[in-house]
Amino acid sequence: MTDHVLTYMTFFPLAGMVVVLLLPRERHDLVRWASALFTLPPLLLAVWLYRNFDPVNPGLQFVEKAAWIPAYNINYFVAVDGISISMVLLTALLTFLCIFASWGIDKGVKGYFALFLLLDTGMMGVFVALDFFLFYIFWEVMLLPMYFLIGIWGGPRREYAAIKFFLYTLFGSVLMLLAILALYFSSEPHTFDMTQLIAQSSRYGTTPLHFWPFDHLRWGFQHVVWMALFIGFAIKIPAFPFHTWLPDAHVEAPTAISVILAGILLKMGAYGILRINYPMLPEATADLAYYFLGALGTWNIIYGALCAMAQKDFKKLVAYSSVSHMGYVMLGMASFTPQGISGAVLQMFNHGTITGMLFLLVGVIYDRAHHRDIDGFGGLAAVMPVYTGVSVLAFFASMGLPGLSGFISEVLVLLGAWQKYPLLSALGASGVILTAGYLLWTIQRVYLGATNEKYKAMPEINGRELFTLVPLGIIVIILGVYPNALLDLLRASLDQLNQLVIPHLS
Amino acid sequence: METNLAPLLPSAEVVLTALSVLLLDLFIRKDEKGLLVWISLIGLALAGGMALFLWGSHEGAFQDSILLDDFALFFTELFLGAAAITILSSVHYVRETNIHEGEFYALVLLSTFGMILMAAANDLILFFLGLETMSIGVYILTGMWRERSQASEAAMKYFLIGAFATGFLLYGIALIYGAAGSTHLGRIASALGQTKSHGSIILSAGVFLLFVGLAFKVAAVPFHFWVPDVYDGAPTPVSAFMAVAVKAAAFAGWARIFLYQLSPLQSEWTLPLKALAILTMTVGNLLAISQSSVKRMLAYSSIAHAGYLLIALVAGGESGGQALLFYLLSYAAMTFGAFGVLIALKEGENDHEAYSDFAGLGFKRPFLGMAMSLFMLSLAGFPPLAGFTGKFYLFRSAVVAGHIDLAIIGALNSLLSVVYYLRVIVMMYMEEGGAEGKPFARAPYLYLAIAIAVLGTVYLGVLPAPALDLSRISFISLH
Amino acid sequence: MAIGLTHYLVLGAILFSLGLYTVLTRRNAISVLMGVELILNSANINYVAFSHFSSGNVDGQIYAIFVIMLAAAEAAVGLAIVLAIFQLFHTIDVGAVETLKE
Repeated sequence: MTDHVLTYMTFFPLAGMVVVLLLPRERHDLVRWASALFTLPPLLLAVWLYRNFDPVNPGLQFVEKAAWIPAYNINYFVAVDGISISMVLLTALLTFLCIFASWGIDKGVKGYFALFLLLDTGMMGVFVALDFFLFYIFWEVMLLPMYFLIGIWGGPRREYAAIKFFLYTLFGSVLMLLAILALYFSSEPHTFDMTQLIAQSSRYGTTPLHFWPFDHLRWGFQHVVWMALFIGFAIKIPAFPFHTWLPDAHVEAPTAISVILAGILLKMGAYGILRINYPMLPEATADLAYYFLGALGTWNIIYGALCAMAQKDFKKLVAYSSVSHMGYVMLGMASFTPQGISGAVLQMFNHGTITGMLFLLVGVIYDRAHHRDIDGFGGLAAVMPVYTGVSVLAFFASMGLPGLSGFISEVLVLLGAWQKYPLLSALGASGVILTAGYLLWTIQRVYLGATNEKYKAMPEINGRELFTLVPLGIIVIILGVYPNALLDLLRASLDQLNQLVIPHLS
Repeated sequence: METNLAPLLPSAEVVLTALSVLLLDLFIRKDEKGLLVWISLIGLALAGGMALFLWGSHEGAFQDSILLDDFALFFTELFLGAAAITILSSVHYVRETNIHEGEFYALVLLSTFGMILMAAANDLILFFLGLETMSIGVYILTGMWRERSQASEAAMKYFLIGAFATGFLLYGIALIYGAAGSTHLGRIASALGQTKSHGSIILSAGVFLLFVGLAFKVAAVPFHFWVPDVYDGAPTPVSAFMAVAVKAAAFAGWARIFLYQLSPLQSEWTLPLKALAILTMTVGNLLAISQSSVKRMLAYSSIAHAGYLLIALVAGGESGGQALLFYLLSYAAMTFGAFGVLIALKEGENDHEAYSDFAGLGFKRPFLGMAMSLFMLSLAGFPPLAGFTGKFYLFRSAVVAGHIDLAIIGALNSLLSVVYYLRVIVMMYMEEGGAEGKPFARAPYLYLAIAIAVLGTVYLGVLPAPALDLSRISFISLH
Repeated sequence: MAIGLTHYLVLGAILFSLGLYTVLTRRNAISVLMGVELILNSANINYVAFSHFSSGNVDGQIYAIFVIMLAAAEAAVGLAIVLAIFQLFHTIDVGAVETLKE
């Protein structure tokens, strides 16, 4: 059992999909419980993984490797290390909770849960795959159910949102595929094995650019590959200017799918850069990270926060806050300091839990009021005290209030970045103020003030909804007080990753 | 003189079956015609068994003008499978449209015989005879739905264009014969080594005409203009048969002639072929986007796929040949499936071929919806389906041969194709109203054909290793 | 002047061009069919000429017989299709038979 723990975690949901497809169509509850049943084992295994993960070992753990298409050296190769462990845990947790957040779906229930489980397999696969070919396949497998889940179960403009999401992501995938081929053919012997590609990372040369005002820069084949991969991943993060699909997709997607989208899919962009760009193309990373991760990340922080401030739609506000928060991840990654990079990975996890909570909270009132207009509520604190309490916790965490998880990761990122790019760090810190601004303003408009007559009798948050929120809230508090619970797992691998790039920094 | 007849076994079995079907057709009552389906299928299975039994052998017959190698056997199996799927998916179609069943099946079998000959021919004249046997059969199949004007129109267009292309091909072969003194591929190849000065221009002209004739048959742009009308007008199972088997047969010939025997001429035809591939992919995809009928869209998409296949011919070598064979397999599975779903939508006089007819199908007929989604995604090149794996190896072969531009254009093209393939899925799951589709009970054979296509599409995508090995072994058996 | 290979080849080329011209310009299906026959026969002339003058075997003449047989089969099918067209459309003008549209 323990030898194949990652395989089980990845393919349990797929087995669940088959089972769900075989269930009778009318038995909605049976389908829902079966889905919950098949996402539970990955969660339990994730707990086991957490307890058995060796934090001192910077290398790959729980490795499984088997030949798949031997003629081309393509393997079924999965493992976890410090870069991916937190994402694997997050995926297992959020998918399980999102099954319960999807309880209210009553159109095409069977199809919804089947696709959801397929999505789960795809996501888990992306985080554990260490063969580039396998990685790409999981990456694409994930795209399709997402497209359907938004396109069929989404809001009024679902088709537009789904197609936009799809085309953006697909464009990135094609670039990534070309980059994969480029890496494959430039390796000797040709391989898709990520560890071997990393071992050969020094094989590319660079030439200085003789092109004023860029003559202090280097350029080469690896920079082209880096850019192709970066665009593919930046679309997922989403980094400015590739972010425009995100608000549309979030607004139209059903609540649980928004949670998955923000909580897990966005992380894949940053994860991909850490997993692929950093170790495989360290020289290009050293040259380009400042511009495309550091500066662009800072811009993301400020731009996202300003956009969020201007939103009237509650869900759009949370969507833009994601753009802003993912900016911290980019900034932290670009710093190449132990604090910065582990802050970035911690921020990925924290953003997953906090934004997950925010989307679930928006979903709660949307289910009751059927609109998401921020100005259309008011004084909910008097009507729904428990709901308001949980909301305020999530908002404060998102704001980065000390004692909650968001604070730790943002501080780590800014501290790390300060050592390298003081200006960017200062600008990033100003983003914290903007964030506090729009979040407090939202709290005031939605929860405080005079109670809106229409919602005097709004029912309080129910048990199922609380069940999805409370575990996330607990994690937010624990990681706020004791971040080492997660940081210890990441450190060794991330330090090793940093050491690959640092020698190339000029 | 001792004649080795072993290489003819599978094709002879197919002809025998065709003749028995034709004969038996005269004697049985209309409600007993289902028997003919079984006879055809059993005949095809027997032929398939023989081909399997002969696997690995390498012999020739009739002064080596026909060869039995793994390459020929690979295509034999492909054509036999294609014929079987065509027959399975047309059982209900021919009954609904009052097409003469016996003749229909017999013609499918006879065309299949022609295709097998094309793949096994080691002599241009024999290749030509195979091509004509196939073509004449398919001309008639196209026009067999006599009551419908579109079918006759399609048959006429197909026939005139086909005969025209035949003329080019034949004239080209005549010139090659003149230059090389023989039509036997081996002797042409050895003559190439010692080309006389007067021969070279005649030879080039001959090769050029052969090239054009084959380009017509695989429907490469700019020789593609007949395809949409013909596929649109023909009975849908025949369109599928044309899109898959006829195209595969032409590619088989192309591979045997150009990738092996005439490969010394490679440098001469690489550039035009590359232009042809780029044009075919791009034009096919661009025109497919603007269609309102799914059947016409599939016709244009088959043009685009011919373009992808041409990439393998440009690349050449072992990796190109392997990619070509593997992609033909994948393409066969997904194309048959897509046309199969189209057949399942037909109700009586109403064809239901427009995009809007697919609206809501995903919920009304979940199996058809799911299958069609798989085929569309596979055609668009999504992992882990056959279309992705196939394209991956095609582009890979282009990179291996140093045509990186071709791989990039191909990848961008498959991105473009997503637009129109996805429209079908959007229709099926996000719109309402539209055709009902046949329930399983009314068309079990058709559903069987679609299920086989689904299995093929998924299997070739998830576990491509055995098929890839097979493709490689088959291709290198040419040498 | 002795009649040699070149003369036959030129004759073949002229016939081929005439056939091509007929196919491309005529709108009557029967005429188009006749153009195709011309092309096939031009190839036949080449086969026989090459067989006689350069290859030194009779293969080419046998091929010519193959092609004649084939042309007959093709013509039979072609005429049947044209007949079907005439029954349905009451015309055999290729341009007038236009029900399939983009």
